[in-house]
Amino acid sequence: MKPAPFDYHAPTSLAEAVALLARLDDEGCDAKILAGGQSLMPMLAMRVARPEALVDLRRVPGLDAIRLQDGYIAIGAMASKRAAELSELVREKQPLFHAATRLVGHQQIRNRGSVGGSFAHADPASEYPAVALILDMQMVATGPDGERVIPADEFFVTYMTTALEAGEILTEVRMPVLPTGSGWAIQEITRRNGDLALAGVALTLRLEAGRCTDARIAAFGVDATAVRLTAAEDSLRGAVPNSESFARAGATAAASLGDPMSCIHASADYRRHLVGTLVERALAEAAARAR
Amino acid sequence: MAFDIPTRTEDLPTDAPRFIGKTVNRIEDPALVSGTVEFIDNLSLPGMLHCAILRSPHPHARITRIDASAALALPGVEAVLTGEDVARWCDPCFTAPEGWGNYCLAVGKVRFVGEPVVAVAASSRYVAEDALELIQVDYALLDAVANPDEAMAPGAPVVFEERRTNVIQSRTYTWGEVDRVFAAADRIVSRQFRWNRVGANPTETFGCICQWDLADNSLICRGAYQTPRFMAIGRAASLRLPANKVKVVSHAQGGGFGGKGGPRGTDIAALLSRKSGGRPVKYIEDRMEYLLAGGGQSWDRYYDAALAVKADGTVTGFKVRLVDDQGAGAEGYGTISAAKPLAAFTGNYRIEAAFYDLTLVATNRAPTYPYRGYGPPPHNLVLESLMDVAARELALDPAELRRRNYIRPEQFPYTVPSGNEYDSGNYAAVLDRVLELADYRALRETQAQARAEGRLVGIGVVSTVEPGVFDWNAYATVGVPGVGVPEGVKVAVDVFGNVTVAVGFNLQGQGQFTVAAQVVADYLGVDMNSVKVTTASTDVALPHFGQGGSRLGVAVTGAILGACDKLRQTFCRVVAHVMHTDPEQIELFNGRLRMKQAPEHGMSIAEVAGLMLSRSDLLPPGVEPCPEATFVWVSPNRNQPDDQGRCRSYLTAAAATHVVQVEIDRDTGQVKILGYYIVDDCGTRLNPASVEGQLQGGVAQGVGAALYEEYVYDAQCQPLVSTFVDYLVPTIHEVPMTVKDHLVTPSPVAPLGAKGCGEGAIHTTPAALLCAINDALAPLGLECRETPASPQRLWKLLHDQA
Repeated sequence: MKPAPFDYHAPTSLAEAVALLARLDDEGCDAKILAGGQSLMPMLAMRVARPEALVDLRRVPGLDAIRLQDGYIAIGAMASKRAAELSELVREKQPLFHAATRLVGHQQIRNRGSVGGSFAHADPASEYPAVALILDMQMVATGPDGERVIPADEFFVTYMTTALEAGEILTEVRMPVLPTGSGWAIQEITRRNGDLALAGVALTLRLEAGRCTDARIAAFGVDATAVRLTAAEDSLRGAVPNSESFARAGATAAASLGDPMSCIHASADYRRHLVGTLVERALAEAAARAR
Repeated sequence: MAFDIPTRTEDLPTDAPRFIGKTVNRIEDPALVSGTVEFIDNLSLPGMLHCAILRSPHPHARITRIDASAALALPGVEAVLTGEDVARWCDPCFTAPEGWGNYCLAVGKVRFVGEPVVAVAASSRYVAEDALELIQVDYALLDAVANPDEAMAPGAPVVFEERRTNVIQSRTYTWGEVDRVFAAADRIVSRQFRWNRVGANPTETFGCICQWDLADNSLICRGAYQTPRFMAIGRAASLRLPANKVKVVSHAQGGGFGGKGGPRGTDIAALLSRKSGGRPVKYIEDRMEYLLAGGGQSWDRYYDAALAVKADGTVTGFKVRLVDDQGAGAEGYGTISAAKPLAAFTGNYRIEAAFYDLTLVATNRAPTYPYRGYGPPPHNLVLESLMDVAARELALDPAELRRRNYIRPEQFPYTVPSGNEYDSGNYAAVLDRVLELADYRALRETQAQARAEGRLVGIGVVSTVEPGVFDWNAYATVGVPGVGVPEGVKVAVDVFGNVTVAVGFNLQGQGQFTVAAQVVADYLGVDMNSVKVTTASTDVALPHFGQGGSRLGVAVTGAILGACDKLRQTFCRVVAHVMHTDPEQIELFNGRLRMKQAPEHGMSIAEVAGLMLSRSDLLPPGVEPCPEATFVWVSPNRNQPDDQGRCRSYLTAAAATHVVQVEIDRDTGQVKILGYYIVDDCGTRLNPASVEGQLQGGVAQGVGAALYEEYVYDAQCQPLVSTFVDYLVPTIHEVPMTVKDHLVTPSPVAPLGAKGCGEGAIHTTPAALLCAINDALAPLGLECRETPASPQRLWKLLHDQA
């Protein structure tokens, strides 16, 4: 379990990193960006990933800020998940993202793992892509031509594949402040505490005058990317928020899934059933929070 | 000289033991927590090379060509080893029964995925792994046998062609009048069970550094060795060396649990050293290698079992048919695990007759190895599950059914039908205490409320006997010869009165060094701080075995007491000589050799040792200037088994009852452990904290086996589990901190009355959890008869019914 040989680069500025990536790309070198290393390092050790060069962002300053800006929360891609977890701003203004962060691995992993790394890695069982979809998050990519903002629904392309170009670095993720009164929940089923989810659901819920006015629901761990469960969302619009409508939304969600993934721990049928259960339970949790 | 091994702490030469029976700090821990223990991977030797192993991707295939020339040409590569070298220099490893073993590298064909095919020694592990990618191996694929049914089908492919069958052993054992008790039973309850493959996963995998001295034709193996002497003999045989030319140096180990394979890795590293001109070669097994084909797979079992029960709940007979998938051969001694239940086949109960139909089958899965507890965890699951079924059918409380069948305190020593003798116990008292501790009535009340709400809450009440202090004779029927497992120590007092205890084993986590220091300190009346426990390498160590079979705490205690008694006798002679009296007039008490008639006259241990080492003129005739003694302890009173395997095998019989309450989530199949209570009785608790650690650790592994862990293979015999992402060892979040209490029924035959206690919890926990799960499912008429009871499995049971 030792990596195949690779060149190692540790640029000390963003400009240097971008230029380096452009040069490596020109040379036809297969380069990979190293952030927190919590997913990439094991893949290297198992020789599942065999880049010719690693570009380590650890020494690039200015990529780990967490701040409120123009009404949205911006998190630098190199901010650790632990930093996001400990951020008062994130906890108060975007509790769904905060809760999702706490579900990522264990604290030791969150100490090292970067926020941006999870988005760029795009693991289908990851919590962040689902949250990104329902919050309409925006990803800021920096490349040779400057910054580019990519909306979440365009960012995640398929299994571990994003819209980032070879020469681009994900430098920041942006998310709206959760509107006051919004209900939210994120629930997942894992075999053990901290494991990747067999299935998970994140959602937000708006209630007005005793009716659901808006629901945004996404599932993770069931398909090549996180998926919006629009049929379930539609079933809730205008509905009275109660166990019946939530059960109906759960059943609708389960039925709307295409062909869920299957593994030794969870068959496609089981995953489909779990999504229905999780939607139902998460709606109840979110409704209790909504005002 | 006759030696006196006290079986009671009151018989120690002290007015009150200061250390035995107390929760003393472990002497191992400062080095462990400060990181100064020399685990094998911390060690580098000058000129050392690093080994990497190319492994078979196929479960069954003939090797038609190996081309390693490109690997050999890679800068940094010093040697490449193939089956051709191995066939020339080696023999297949020892197995039980004989003749079911592989060479350390595949010769001619591969029999399981992960079997070593080519090994490389290079300047670093990185280079060695690069070299593996340059090796070409051509295979002609053979059909694999993926399970015992396939393996026993007519015309099935044969894993070991020279054996002409895949059945390693098939035989029956009949103990008592089985047919009569089954014919006379009012009720026969029978079920089938599937226990899927699980196994040991120590924090540290196997590792070693081997160095072949080409001039002397001798070998030094340093490594994470659990049973060093056994390993040395095995290496001598497989590597065709005189046994006295193989020296094994056992380093501290990051856990063992039976899974520290090692023979293959050692032989490969040794041969690479031989091939690279005698340079030391390090092999560190990585976790993927370990999970794929290390020593960590055990107990792959298919059970069909029945209990004969009278209307009043008296259980009279127990029949078990076991088909055990051993994987590709018997190199890991997985066969032994199937014989171990003979030591306590009928558990805590007065079951008068029993029958065991045992079939051991070779398949193309990885070979199986011992795992903590050996065979009883699945066996007890079968027995205890049937006890619960019987209770349900008779409308008896499961605790009450057990109570009615317990062996009674006055019946000890008690010989079970399968032959072993239990030394002592009070099972009803253990049950009473745990029911009180758990507030069993309240648990049943909360269960009734939960059921009324439609929730699936269940309670398991499970009793087991833990055979302690294993002996070879328990395994005679699967081809292990001999009676008596030795444990030897040397106790030496220096000129300042410090005491050194040299043992044949090294640290593995259980705390035996601490127990050794406690015993010697209490016997000789010195402080534990002045006791040093050290590991002797196999070239100088006394006959020993080390950890295994819940024996070492008891065995090392016996060995130290024997050595101390020898020392005492010598010291009495010396002191008598200088005091001009007879040795019978001198006694050792509270660390002083004193005159029985005038206790104020005497000498300290340090004074006697100092005198012996510096004043030969004062020594009595025939006494050497050597305040040291050796002793090799074996279990007393062991015997050869009869043709049905019956013998006095394990010396001690500890007992425990676990009570656990669980809830199953109907919608997800997840099991939540609501409460876990244990009362155990392992006689004298030499170090109570260590006993508690053994219990909690055993529970953790039991939770793993019952709910999480499984080595999954597909229908083509490809392993689907190769990392800890898929092999689910439970963490601190999944394992409940158990509520514990204990009783003390000392062993009348073991040193200081202590019983083996390393395996009792893993013997009990899987059964307790499955019984609780099935109690929860009972209102639905469902039963889970397969481990692990994973969420998917339970959901499917519930879902298929709906």
